[in-house]
Amino acid sequence: MLLEIAHLTVRYEKAVLINDLSLCVDTGELVSLVGPNGAGKSTTLRAISGLVAWEREIKRRSTSGDIFLEGTVTFNGERIDQIPAHEIVRRGLVLCPERRRPFREMTVLDNLLAGAYLQKDPKKSRETLDKVYELFPVLKQRSPQIAGTLSGGEQQMLAIGRAFMSEPKLLCIDEPSTGLAPRLRQEVFEKISEINRLGITILLVEQEVSLVFKMSCRNYVLSSGKIIAQGTGQQLIEDEVLRKTYLGL
Amino acid sequence: MNIIITGLITGSMLALLAISFSLIFGVARIVNIAHTAFYMVAAYCIFSLTGKFGLNPIAGMMIAVVVVTVLGLLAYKFLIDPIREHEAAVLIATIALAMIFQEAVMLIYTGDYRTVSALIEGYFIVTGVKVFYQQVLTFGVVLVVLALLWFLLMKTKLGLAIRSTAEDREVANLMGMNDSRLAMITMGISVALAGFTGAVLAPLTVLSPFMWMEPLIIMMAVVVLGGLGSIKGSFVAAFILGFTEALVVFMIPKGAFLKGSVALTIMILVLLLRPEGLFGISFEEER
Repeated sequence: MLLEIAHLTVRYEKAVLINDLSLCVDTGELVSLVGPNGAGKSTTLRAISGLVAWEREIKRRSTSGDIFLEGTVTFNGERIDQIPAHEIVRRGLVLCPERRRPFREMTVLDNLLAGAYLQKDPKKSRETLDKVYELFPVLKQRSPQIAGTLSGGEQQMLAIGRAFMSEPKLLCIDEPSTGLAPRLRQEVFEKISEINRLGITILLVEQEVSLVFKMSCRNYVLSSGKIIAQGTGQQLIEDEVLRKTYLGL
Repeated sequence: MNIIITGLITGSMLALLAISFSLIFGVARIVNIAHTAFYMVAAYCIFSLTGKFGLNPIAGMMIAVVVVTVLGLLAYKFLIDPIREHEAAVLIATIALAMIFQEAVMLIYTGDYRTVSALIEGYFIVTGVKVFYQQVLTFGVVLVVLALLWFLLMKTKLGLAIRSTAEDREVANLMGMNDSRLAMITMGISVALAGFTGAVLAPLTVLSPFMWMEPLIIMMAVVVLGGLGSIKGSFVAAFILGFTEALVVFMIPKGAFLKGSVALTIMILVLLLRPEGLFGISFEEER
């Protein structure tokens, strides 16, 4: 197993965001986490990439509330739930965050180079950059442009490209289809499949169930911080209740 | 001519102060009220080193910058870092720090006005106006430092990390950038620049334990005019205010008394009309 989450619980003050969640991702898979708004999908990704713990530290320092975080996360045979976020990246677990969040004031190229911050060898960053340009030719055209001026689709490509620059073993992508036109969604998902075919394991959080089920190996359905079902897209769609209540199909 | 020279020198000084102030604000959201107090400490360091110990002025300047940087890092480590996420507490702590510096200087050097001798004496005359070599030197050195700073920020990996963290601390973390370590490094750079400004300005000004207050206010006005956290904005705004100040001082009789109020008026107008400043970024809500 590349990633194993066991009994993960996250509470912000009294609100339970994730309740005793366990899941795993095997090397080479493309696994999706689907479910309605507020189910805890993004929080799961933020928890494994260390951002929840980071936020907890800030809240403690500013005495503005507390976050409760419990459970174990094992990545590549090593426990990472006690490691700070900036160290987790180094181990190859990379998160492409919700709402894309490019560095808007910086150029496209600087954004991508920021992704390769940990790579000490400029030659290697250069090679990864070429790979990103090959995946997303539009980023090459736009490389001197300020990221804030890109279109939504391009910004999503940039966010994925930037995460790719961190040389992930496991790439977690949070809601890449938000705010994109259907044609662009299709394109983004094709790129994600392509990255997966390059041998990079992907954990995808999405609401766009119909597209996701076609490409992922396995899926988890999340609701109110709990996993309520799992299986291939076909299996999940065949379940009448599940389909009507949670998947909106 | 006088206006241009004074404007350029004041402008470049303000640019250095405002940019270094903006840097640490951008990366760690620290409003360092003691910023100009560090600049005062540097000026007094030089006064002591060159005056009492008879050191070479250039060596004095270097030592002063190092002393101030170390002081700044210590203050950061023991005073600011533990309360870093508490903006109001940081504000109060840095005001206290500035007062401590002021009183310490008062104790050691008394409140008398002091001067530091110029690095090079003499002047030349352009269109009937005396231009001191020291003024030209100061301006040149400041420009070189600004260029170096630009290079550091735009062309190095550290600069990339500083810019990324300033823009989105959380995402920068996801790229492997350690935000607390970067805050420490940036604090060092910021205070070193404040110290450097004090060092190069010392020969052109009169030292007193209260010399940190006026530049602090004008620097704040610069930062507000340029847009909080925007380096480019601080640079442009510094020269705008530098020239405005020079114009007021030379064009209006007894105008020297007005320069502080002009800066404040500009600050208030900007806050009323365009709160984000010339190049301001409207901050995205942190989650």
